[in-house]
Amino acid sequence: MALAIKAEGIYKTFRSGWGRKRNKEVLKGVDLQIEEGEIFGILGPNGAGKTTLLSILSTLLLPDRGQIRIFGMDGITDGHRIRERVNISSGNANFVWSLTVEENLQFYGMLYGLAGRRREERVNFLINLFDLRDHRDVPFDQLSTGMKQRLSLAKSLLNEPEILFLDEPTVGLDPEVSIRIREQIRAIQKERGMTILLTTHQMKEAEYLCGRIAFLKTGEILASGTAHDLKRMVRIGDLVRITFEGNISEEELLRAEGVINYSVTDGHCEIMLDDGERRLGPLVSTLTQSGTHIKRLSLRQVDLEDVFIEFSKESDSDPGLRL
Amino acid sequence: MSLSSFQKNLIRIQAFAFKNWIITKRNFFSLSEILFWPLVGLFSVGLLTVFLKLDADMTGFILIGVMSMSLIQVCQIDVAYALLYDLWAKSMKHTFIAPIHSFQLILGSWFIGMLRSSFVFLLLSIFSLLAFHFNFFRSGFLTVLFFLLGLFLIAVLIGLCVCILVLLFGYKAEVAAWSITSLMALICGIYYPVSILPSPLPGIARAIPLTYFLEYFRSFYGFRNELTYPLGWGFGLIGFYLLLGAILFKMVLHHARSKGTFVRLSE
Repeated sequence: MALAIKAEGIYKTFRSGWGRKRNKEVLKGVDLQIEEGEIFGILGPNGAGKTTLLSILSTLLLPDRGQIRIFGMDGITDGHRIRERVNISSGNANFVWSLTVEENLQFYGMLYGLAGRRREERVNFLINLFDLRDHRDVPFDQLSTGMKQRLSLAKSLLNEPEILFLDEPTVGLDPEVSIRIREQIRAIQKERGMTILLTTHQMKEAEYLCGRIAFLKTGEILASGTAHDLKRMVRIGDLVRITFEGNISEEELLRAEGVINYSVTDGHCEIMLDDGERRLGPLVSTLTQSGTHIKRLSLRQVDLEDVFIEFSKESDSDPGLRL
Repeated sequence: MSLSSFQKNLIRIQAFAFKNWIITKRNFFSLSEILFWPLVGLFSVGLLTVFLKLDADMTGFILIGVMSMSLIQVCQIDVAYALLYDLWAKSMKHTFIAPIHSFQLILGSWFIGMLRSSFVFLLLSIFSLLAFHFNFFRSGFLTVLFFLLGLFLIAVLIGLCVCILVLLFGYKAEVAAWSITSLMALICGIYYPVSILPSPLPGIARAIPLTYFLEYFRSFYGFRNELTYPLGWGFGLIGFYLLLGAILFKMVLHHARSKGTFVRLSE
């Protein structure tokens, strides 16, 4: 698969105050490769540098150092050509207040060089796609947050971009609207096969939408890969809690496949498995055959939040460690 | 059918004209800019000339100044609005992630500025004729045309200057949209000849195109030219400043991309 985005050694420092003496190093040598047609997520806490990285890749911001290639074009010198093929939508969307939904889309459609009937058709299509029909004549400042976000997404598809940058697309939205927006993002990507680069601090959103994920913290990529790969990297495993009657054979536990760790106390047992879904069935069979009567059982699978915390701990204790 | 680069340029220019046009027709403050303030300015100064019992030529001298200031202010604010609306709405990044050129932004908004300003000119011409018996068309249609073209070009220079300041200083610079014209009026002799200014202001006035256009237009109302070839100097200076402004604007846009201005002003 060809690369849509390739970034190497991206550095960015913001200087402020008198004499530009106050420095804030926001990105510290970020490398990234994103394939055409994938949804790639950049996950990290507030202030990690997600928006700065996305702004650089979308040509809104120039890096201090580093190289960027977007479809093979130079991200620093070919900005204008790149901007023809990309677009952005961000959370807490803002557009000119007194323009209506339709007028905002017409305006941005013109900025992307769409003319006459083609623009009309595109605007109508997007108004229908995002269910904005009843609000097409409503000024932007009278829209609800969810409607504003839908307009932002509609605007970002005006030029049928090959790369779509989504900066915290569901921030500030209620859960119901967030779910709907996520579904729309997924459907659009599936239908058009475009590359999406998404930043979020919501681990569940990243897991739901993204094929691959990069953890960004204090301007550095801690790790990247699929959600499954990342979970395996940290080896914190899935936790099985068992309440039982009779005995539990520690010998059997030691022999069972995939057991990372365990602890047994009076009638209760906690077992850490490397892959809960795959190992749980055989483990239960083994315990039952050895005479353990299982009264209650629960499985808590590791999620991206646990993984991120683990990576953060590792990077804090060993700043040289980057995966 | 794919569009030529020229057609795409026209559409993008149309985009900025479209935005300014919609805002003009929808906002009360925008309407007051072309109806209320110019008329208040004309009447208050016009009545002052009546009170001071100024002769017809002197009244014309002052009304030409009032008219010029209103026309420049209305036209330049439209150019400045191209960025100011994005600044106020925090939508700047959406404009600058689109594949636009700086000249498209300026030309589109300037077009609406010229329309609004032409309307103000007609309005003030009628009222000054009716209320103060001063005819702006006495000098001839072509003279009025050159004079207006000069004022519109000065307006685009001021608007460009405001845009540059907004990109450099953000919200702190928005006041420039209302103050640069007044400052220029002070130096270029809106209500008096520049020769009465204390040194070194007359020298500075000679570096500002408005001085030459006021001199040119007033020469048709009985005032002797103190400057030679005012029209040539006026347009020449405008050409020079436009070139300088275009280069500066391009540099400032690059600076804004480097400093994160578009992102910062959109948060």
